[in-house]
Amino acid sequence: MTRQKADLLQGTLDMLILKALSLGALHGYGVIQRIRQMSGEMLEVEQGSLYPALYRIEQRGWVSSKWEVNETGRRAKFYALTRVGRRQLEAEEASWDRLVLAIAKMRQAT
Amino acid sequence: MRWFNIFVARLRALLGREAVIRDIDEEMRLHVEMETEANVGRGMPLVEARRTALKSFGTYDTVRDAAYGVRGGGMIETLLQDIRYGARVLAKHKGFTAVAVLTLGLGIGANTAIFSVVNELLLRPLPFPDAERLVMLWEVTPEGRRENTTSRANFRGWREQSTNFERMAAFSDQRLSLTGGGNPEEVSVQLATPELFRVLGVEPILGRGMTEEDIRPGAPEVAVLSYGLWQRRFGGDPQVVGRPITLNGAPCTVVGVLPAGFQWHIRKRSGTARPAEVWTVLTMPTEGSGVRGRFLSVVARLKPGVSLEQAEAEMKTIHARLEQDAPQSNKGYGTEVIQLREQFVGNVRPALLILLGAVGFVLLIACANVANLMLSRAAAREKEIALRTALGASRWRVVRQLLTESLLLAVLGSLLGLVIAWWGISALVAISPRDLVNLQGVGLNLTVLAWTLAVSLLTGIIFGIAPALEATRLNLNDALKEGSKGAGGQGVRSSGLRGALVITEVALALVLLASAGLLMKSFDRLQKIDTGFDTNNVLTMVVRLPDGKYREDHQMVAFFRQATERIRTLPGVHNAGMVNFLPLYGGLGSATGFTVEGRPAPQPGEEPGTNVRVADAGYFGAMGIPLLRGRNFTELEASEARRVVLISESMARRHFPGEDPLGKRINVAMFEQPTPTEIVGIVGDVRYDSLTDAAEPTVYFPHPDLTYPFMTLIVRTAGDPAEMAPAVRRELSAIDPDQPVSDVRTMRQVMTDTTGRARFNTLLLGFFAGLATLLAAIGIFGVMNYSVALRTREIGIRMALGAQQGQVLLLILKQGLLLTLIGIGIGVAGALALTRVMTSLLFGVEATDPATFATIVLLLAVVSSIACYIPARRATRIDPLIALRYE
Repeated sequence: MTRQKADLLQGTLDMLILKALSLGALHGYGVIQRIRQMSGEMLEVEQGSLYPALYRIEQRGWVSSKWEVNETGRRAKFYALTRVGRRQLEAEEASWDRLVLAIAKMRQAT
Repeated sequence: MRWFNIFVARLRALLGREAVIRDIDEEMRLHVEMETEANVGRGMPLVEARRTALKSFGTYDTVRDAAYGVRGGGMIETLLQDIRYGARVLAKHKGFTAVAVLTLGLGIGANTAIFSVVNELLLRPLPFPDAERLVMLWEVTPEGRRENTTSRANFRGWREQSTNFERMAAFSDQRLSLTGGGNPEEVSVQLATPELFRVLGVEPILGRGMTEEDIRPGAPEVAVLSYGLWQRRFGGDPQVVGRPITLNGAPCTVVGVLPAGFQWHIRKRSGTARPAEVWTVLTMPTEGSGVRGRFLSVVARLKPGVSLEQAEAEMKTIHARLEQDAPQSNKGYGTEVIQLREQFVGNVRPALLILLGAVGFVLLIACANVANLMLSRAAAREKEIALRTALGASRWRVVRQLLTESLLLAVLGSLLGLVIAWWGISALVAISPRDLVNLQGVGLNLTVLAWTLAVSLLTGIIFGIAPALEATRLNLNDALKEGSKGAGGQGVRSSGLRGALVITEVALALVLLASAGLLMKSFDRLQKIDTGFDTNNVLTMVVRLPDGKYREDHQMVAFFRQATERIRTLPGVHNAGMVNFLPLYGGLGSATGFTVEGRPAPQPGEEPGTNVRVADAGYFGAMGIPLLRGRNFTELEASEARRVVLISESMARRHFPGEDPLGKRINVAMFEQPTPTEIVGIVGDVRYDSLTDAAEPTVYFPHPDLTYPFMTLIVRTAGDPAEMAPAVRRELSAIDPDQPVSDVRTMRQVMTDTTGRARFNTLLLGFFAGLATLLAAIGIFGVMNYSVALRTREIGIRMALGAQQGQVLLLILKQGLLLTLIGIGIGVAGALALTRVMTSLLFGVEATDPATFATIVLLLAVVSSIACYIPARRATRIDPLIALRYE
């Protein structure tokens, strides 16, 4: 790996998946791609942790899934953000911003 | 909602496990395909593109398992797996399963049966609305006799002056003969003030209850019927209201019928000892002789929010006032307030709680036995468990699986237990004494089932947890090695636990045996009490002459005289006589004052008291009461009043010490005018009050001197007394076909009824103690047997080195008996502490009776020696050659 990557903080995967889906429905592979794009190639989600996370989020009702054939004629299971999921994303983003702000303040204090 | 979605998803996964896995597989396959295509797009050759895609995906199975972990059946699925596996294991080891289920079934069954009785009597709400506000009001006599009846005057005082009660009603039971609408019969009638039904909160289903109108002087007599009597005598006739009936010759009109299941019977101080079937109005004259006589029971309903203590305090104040108003009749009397449930079951509660404790002990012993079995089996399954652990199962996972198995056993055991309880309850009801409140309603209801379920889950955990923890605490290397059995594995390590289980079983069994032993001894004492009469071959029955028919004393005397004469001539009858109240009848007290002629008059309030009985000459012979001195009554006294009496031995001893009472004249306060009577004879003492109360001084009047409209006929027969009953009834109806007869019982039955409760307790506790001992013996046997199996090689070596059979026998016996002795020691300490709670059930035996304890200890030692002996004998038959080659 030549590219420098940021480590995924525990518990942020859910938020990343929700964020990725906030722009439109995607299949699992697409979620990984979108996260990579959106993070400027800095974040790489492992497949092994993606699917359990997706399933868990689905059970919580934040996303819904459907087997579909997309415009390129490919059959895949597509995940879409639900209303509850959108609210959850907003809440998580807000809490994340607060955390970042707090940490930044701590760092500037010294 | 979230947990609900998850639950539904997991449940769906359970039902469509394959579909879920297919879905996941498909999604992941497509994922790899897409990545492969992307790699090809980046210019890789197809084969390499695919390999790279797979590699970046990670270990496929692990990923899929992780995904399934989220979407699969989760805990429920593993639980179902465990249950399926457990069921297979149990089905495979049929002997083990059968023994364990049977043991648990006995324990749980006994618990369920006793609990159902406890639930019915102690826990279930009484069948009256807001029953917790119902209380009984009693007096306490200056002699300290509790729960005593009160007088009309005092009842009126209580009702008028109290502020803590919503309503208050007085009642008194009487037996009256009922005619009209069928054969004459004697029924239990409750005379009550009109408020009674409103106090109890019961509404008649037909007609009305009693009202204030009915109590006015000159109002027509009314009667309210019980549902049972209405069905039995009037065939449930809906037109019964308004029909005339006759009670003791007095006409009255039926005005209402009470609902089925309504019963109002306070046994204490009831003159009839059975529930009333007819209610009539108790008149409340304000003047005359009936005002001060104490014969009323009182029930009251507390106002909401009033505590028992407040009510008691107020009653005390009121009664102090009444005492000042009428010192001649109220001096020294107190009051007490007793909650209705306490009134009903207060006296059976200790016995029930002790029985519940006893079955609890039996169940604990059963648990210990099954735990032992599980331990032995865990040893056999050592390799299986080691393998599971080696393959990555956590200890918690294995414990959970083993616990699932024990819970499965417990549930099976409780199913069997329910069957046993079902039988047990019918047996309980069958042997329950008649006075132990009403057990007919006892059965398996929801509360009982919930209790059983809770008990079985608890037992499953109790007997399962220790073996499961023990089984999983193992050394993988040792366990997986061949030939480790008996050398250093499971068996030896868990022997401490086994020993503890045996000690527990022995200790618990000892406590139960000691309790049962004490009860048996006191029951034996009860049986051996010298009652003063002979119970064999005696038939008794009560004949009550209706008021209207025999108005004059001489008519009554003639009737009873004729009756006894006719009965005496019957073939198979040795002797016949009569008395007004049977021995052991109880409840009357014995304080009729008397004076002896020629002695200085005693201070007022210090007159000696005596029991008074009315009897004829035949009574003493028929009852087997010996004439000690003087003469019996004669024909002369049988027909007219001659002013002679017989006295009992204790009367002679207590009131005529150092003198000859024969020829002395006494004046018993039974008559309106002083009526001196001459003592002509002394007869043996008889226990009239109860089996356990010593005989009180008694004076016997012949019937003409003191006439009663009711008498108990006593018939001494040559053969079975019960068989004579029809012939005796025939003779009575020959004199008067309308004459009812009641309470036809042999004297043996009277005794049995008296000792019924003691017999019930003794029988049950004895049975449970026997069961406990049997289970404990099986437990000891199991442990020793297993221990011998484990020590086969050691014993083989010993024998090879020259140990004699006797020495080997002793070796094993010593091991078993040591455990037994420790158990006995703990048990004796426990029993000494616990049997104290039984004091109220014991008669003539101390709760720490050394003889009983010694017998029990010996018994248990013998039983456990036998249980140890069989495995020990097996040990002596070990062939050293085979034992050493084995392994």
